[in-house]
Amino acid sequence: MLIRKIITGIFMLTLSIGLSGCVSVAAWERGNLAKPQMALDPHPLQSTVRMHNYGSREAAASTHSAEGGGGCGCY
Amino acid sequence: MVNNKKGSHRGDSSHLIVDSCQSYPIKITSVSTLACATFSESSTTTSKALQALTSAALVLPGLLLTPAHASDADRINFQFSRYQEGKRDLFGVPNNLKPITADVLHGSGIFSLTDRTKFNFSYTQDTWSGATPITISPLAANGNRPILGNTATGITTVGASPIINNSQVLLDRDLNPLRQDSQNHQLMNKDPRSVMVLSSASPETRNQANFGLSREWNEAALNVSGGFSRERDYKSNFGNVSGRLDFNQKLTSVKFGSGYTSSNISAILDHDASPYITKTAFSRQIESRGGSEILQGNRHDWTGNLGLTQVLTKNALLEANIGYTHSNGYMENPYKVMTVIFVDPAVLNNNQTTPITGDMRALLEQRPNVRNQVAINTKYIQYISAFDAALHLGYRLSTDDWGINTHTFDANWVQPIGSGWTLTPRIRYYSQDAAGFYNPYLFSQQTYRRNEVDSLGRQIWIDAKNPNIQYVRDSSFNLIDQNGNLVNEALLNVQPKTASFDAGKLPENFSSDHRLAGFGALSGGVTLNKMIMKGVALEAGFEYYTRASSMQLGSGGRNGFADFDYYVANAALKLDLESTNLSMPGRNLSQHQDSPTHHQHKAPPAGIMFGHMLDKPGDFMVGYRFMHSWTNGNMMHGAHKVNDQTIVDQGCSDTTLCRFTPTYMNMRMHMLDIMYAPAKWWNIMLMPTFMDMDMNLRTLAGRPAPVPGVHEHQGIAGHETGAVGDTMISSLVKLIDIPGHRVHMSLGLSAPTGKVDLQLRRLFQIDGGLIHFGMQLGSGTWDFMPNLTYAGEYNRWSWGAQVNGIKRMENQNKSGYRLGDVFQATTWGGYDLTRWLTASVRGAYTVQGAIHRDFNSFNARIGPMDFPANYGGQFWDIGLGLNAIIPGGRFAGNRFSFEWVQPVRNDFNGFQLERKGALSATWSYRF
Repeated sequence: MLIRKIITGIFMLTLSIGLSGCVSVAAWERGNLAKPQMALDPHPLQSTVRMHNYGSREAAASTHSAEGGGGCGCY
Repeated sequence: MVNNKKGSHRGDSSHLIVDSCQSYPIKITSVSTLACATFSESSTTTSKALQALTSAALVLPGLLLTPAHASDADRINFQFSRYQEGKRDLFGVPNNLKPITADVLHGSGIFSLTDRTKFNFSYTQDTWSGATPITISPLAANGNRPILGNTATGITTVGASPIINNSQVLLDRDLNPLRQDSQNHQLMNKDPRSVMVLSSASPETRNQANFGLSREWNEAALNVSGGFSRERDYKSNFGNVSGRLDFNQKLTSVKFGSGYTSSNISAILDHDASPYITKTAFSRQIESRGGSEILQGNRHDWTGNLGLTQVLTKNALLEANIGYTHSNGYMENPYKVMTVIFVDPAVLNNNQTTPITGDMRALLEQRPNVRNQVAINTKYIQYISAFDAALHLGYRLSTDDWGINTHTFDANWVQPIGSGWTLTPRIRYYSQDAAGFYNPYLFSQQTYRRNEVDSLGRQIWIDAKNPNIQYVRDSSFNLIDQNGNLVNEALLNVQPKTASFDAGKLPENFSSDHRLAGFGALSGGVTLNKMIMKGVALEAGFEYYTRASSMQLGSGGRNGFADFDYYVANAALKLDLESTNLSMPGRNLSQHQDSPTHHQHKAPPAGIMFGHMLDKPGDFMVGYRFMHSWTNGNMMHGAHKVNDQTIVDQGCSDTTLCRFTPTYMNMRMHMLDIMYAPAKWWNIMLMPTFMDMDMNLRTLAGRPAPVPGVHEHQGIAGHETGAVGDTMISSLVKLIDIPGHRVHMSLGLSAPTGKVDLQLRRLFQIDGGLIHFGMQLGSGTWDFMPNLTYAGEYNRWSWGAQVNGIKRMENQNKSGYRLGDVFQATTWGGYDLTRWLTASVRGAYTVQGAIHRDFNSFNARIGPMDFPANYGGQFWDIGLGLNAIIPGGRFAGNRFSFEWVQPVRNDFNGFQLERKGALSATWSYRF
C-alpha cells in the first residue's frame, strides 16, 4: 500500500537524520533555538482549543492521543 | 536582541545568554532565569565562557519538550473560547434554528513540588447548544419541513421540523429522487441533491479534569497523568504515561507515550425522534427508564506514540511522531440515524416506467466495533534571522481501517514585534477520504415490513393477545387454526402477522455522519500575545474554518450539502508564577515570609465580594472565585412548606394551574478576579463570570391533565444551561485607612454578557420556548453595584461589615423582564488560629425583589419557576469560613479561602424551592 510506504519512508528518513550524529550544534550556538518563537509549540493553549475543534469535526487520527482526553464532543 | 551571526565567538556567546535572560521572558523564562542563576552562583570559580556553555545546555530541556511538557515554568492559565458555526445550507427551506455554539472555559496550572517534580492540572468546562444534523435525506423528500405558526402578523414560518421517518419519496426506475411541485403535486425533474436534516438541542455541559505528576532528570523526563470527562450521556476516564530521553548533547530527544481511555455511553434517545427510529440492531443495549429510552454502550481506546526531535542546525529543528490508536466497543454517535429508502422489488421490477414510491425510514447508525488508526506527523521549524521570526511547517498523515486517509498541512509564522507583542498568523489545509461505510442515504430493495405467509403461500394471522398461535384464512375468508378448525373471530383481536425487513440485506455498517464523509477544509487565523508585565501575559486567538466537499484532495464535490464554516475566538490570561518573584525556588525566602503579615491586611470571608483593596500602587492581583449553591427539598410559600395541591392551585397564576415543580436546582459560578492598583487609594477590578446550572422537575400531584399541543416535561432528563455570565467591573476607593481600621467604597457595573434568551428544545413537536428565568445566565440588564466595606483588626482578631446592593438600570432586558433589585448587609468576625490560618463567622441579611414584567416571547409556563412573582425574598444566613495564606516556601503568597453559607431563615416571594446552602471558595495571588 502506498500509504504504508509513505509512512515507513518518512519515519526512516527522520530516524536516519536523528541518529546519524552528523549534526553538531555547539552549546553556545543554540541561542536562536532557545527563543520562544522556536518552541515546538509556541502557543499550547491555542493548540488545545484547535485540536479539540478539529477533533470534533474531522475523522483524522492524532499523534497526541496518548496525552489523554475524553468526552464525546457530540455536536 | 540576540545577534545570531556572532554565535561562534566565545566572548559573544556569553552576551547571547545574558541577553536572552533579559529579552525573552515569555516561555523560556524559568530556564533562562535558571541560566542566569547558574551564571551568578558559579562566577567566582569558572570562566565566563564555561558558564555560558553550561547555561546554554540548561536552556535546552525547555526547548525539546513535547507540547505536554512545554510549560515548564510554574504557571497558571485561564482561557475562554467560543466556537460559533455558520448556518447550514438547507437549500431554501426556511430555518430559524440557531447554529451550534460552544463556550469553553479552561483553567490549568503547573506547580513545582520539589526542584525536579511538578504537579499539573487542568480543568475544562464546555457548554454547547444549537442545531445539529441527525441524518441526510434526498432534498426531494422534504426532510426539513417548515413549521407554520399563527402569529399576530398572520401565518409565518416559525421553525423547521426534522421529519426523519414515515415519509415517502418518489423515485424513477434508476432510483433517482423526483421532485414534486408543492402546490399542484405535479412531478418535476430528477433532483439528485441531498440535504442535512437538523434537530435542535437544549444546552448541554461537559466537564473535564486532568491531573499529572512529572519528574525531570538531567537527560530524561517522565510524566504520569489521568483524569475524567463527564457529560450527561458520555463518561470517560483516562490515564497515560509519557516520557522523554535526550541524547547527543540534547540535540536529539526521543519521546514516548501510552494511554488508555475507558468510556461509558448512556444516551437518552431523542423523545421526538425515538418512536420513528428503527433501533432493532441495538435493542439489547436499550433500556427504558422513567419514560426515557436509554442506549448504553462501552468503548475502550488504547494509544501509543513515539517521537523524535532533532536539532538540525543552530537555526532549525525537526520533529517527527508516530501514533497508533486501537479502539473497540460502541463507536457510534447515538443521536445520528441513517436514512434508508425501502423499495419494494416487486414494484421496481414490474417492467413499467412510472415513478415508484420509496418508503423512507430512519435507522440508528451502525459503525464497526473496532478501529485501528495510525498517524504520523512531522514538523520543521526554521529561524528567520532577518525578521527574528520562526516559521513552523507541519504535515500529518493518518490512515485507519475504516478507510479514512487524511492529509494535513499547516504553517505558522511566529513574529515577535517588540514591546512584548508576538503576532502569529497561521494557515491550515486538511483533506480526508470518506469512511468505507459512509453514505448520505441508502436504498434497500425490500419492504420495510411485510405480511408473513406460510409454506402454502397463505397469509398468516395472529391474535394480538396471544401472538404465538397462528391462523390462516380459507377460501371463504374464514379464520381457521392450524388444525383446520374454524375459529370464532369475534373472540379474538386478529391481525396480519408481519415481519420486519431483513437486516442481512443491509450493509453491515452504515453512517451518514458528515464527519465521516470525504471533504477538504481550509482554515486560517491569528494569535496575538502581549506581555503586559513581568510574568503576566494576555493571549487572544481567532480562527476561521471552512469545510467544502469540493476541496477534498483527489476527488470530491459530491457532499456539498454538508459544507459549513465556523469561527473560534478565544482570550487567555497567562501567569508565570516564577517571574512574579514570589515563589522562585532557591531564593532567600525570609522577606516573603514576613510579607503576608506585615504588608497585607487580613482578607474577609470567601463569600464577600469587593471586600479588600491592594495597598501599593502598581500591585496586581489575580484570583479565582467559585460558588456552588444548592436548592432542593421542600417547596416553600413564604416561610412555610406547602403541599402539591396548593402549588397546583396557587403557584402559577389565576388563569394557569401548575403542572410541574422543581425537585432541585444547582448553580455553579466561576469568576476570575483581576485587580490592579493604579494608586494607593484607588483600585480597579474586572470580574468575568462563567456559570452552569442544572435542574430537574417532577409532576405535581393533583395537576390538570395534559392538553394536546401544550409543552409537557417528560422523561428522566433534567435541564442544563451554562456559559458566560455577566461581567463586573468595579472601581474601589479607599476612604479611611488608619491603623486597625479601613473603610472603602466600591462602585461597580455589571455588563449583560450572560444570555437571557436560552431556549428549551422542541419536544414532542411542541416548542419548549424560553427556559425558566432562574436558568438564564445573566440579568440581561446593565446593573449598578455599589458597596461600602469596613474592616478592622487587632492582634489576632479581625472584624468587618459590608452593605451592598444591585440596582437594575434598565426597565427590561431583551427577553422582556428584569430581575429584582438586591440589598445585602453582612458582618463578620475572625480569629487567627495560627499565623497563616483564620477562622471566621459571618451573618448576612439579603432582600431581593421579585422579577418585574415578564417574558416577551413564548415560555411554556409549566410550574412556579416560570412566573415572575416566585422570585426573590428575604434571607437570613450564617457563614462559617476559613482563610489561609501560605506564609513561605514555593507557594508563598497564595491565598485560599472557603466559606459555607447556611440559610437560617427564608421568607420567599411566592412559591420557591428551599435553599440548602452555598459553598464559596477563592484563590488569589498578588504581585
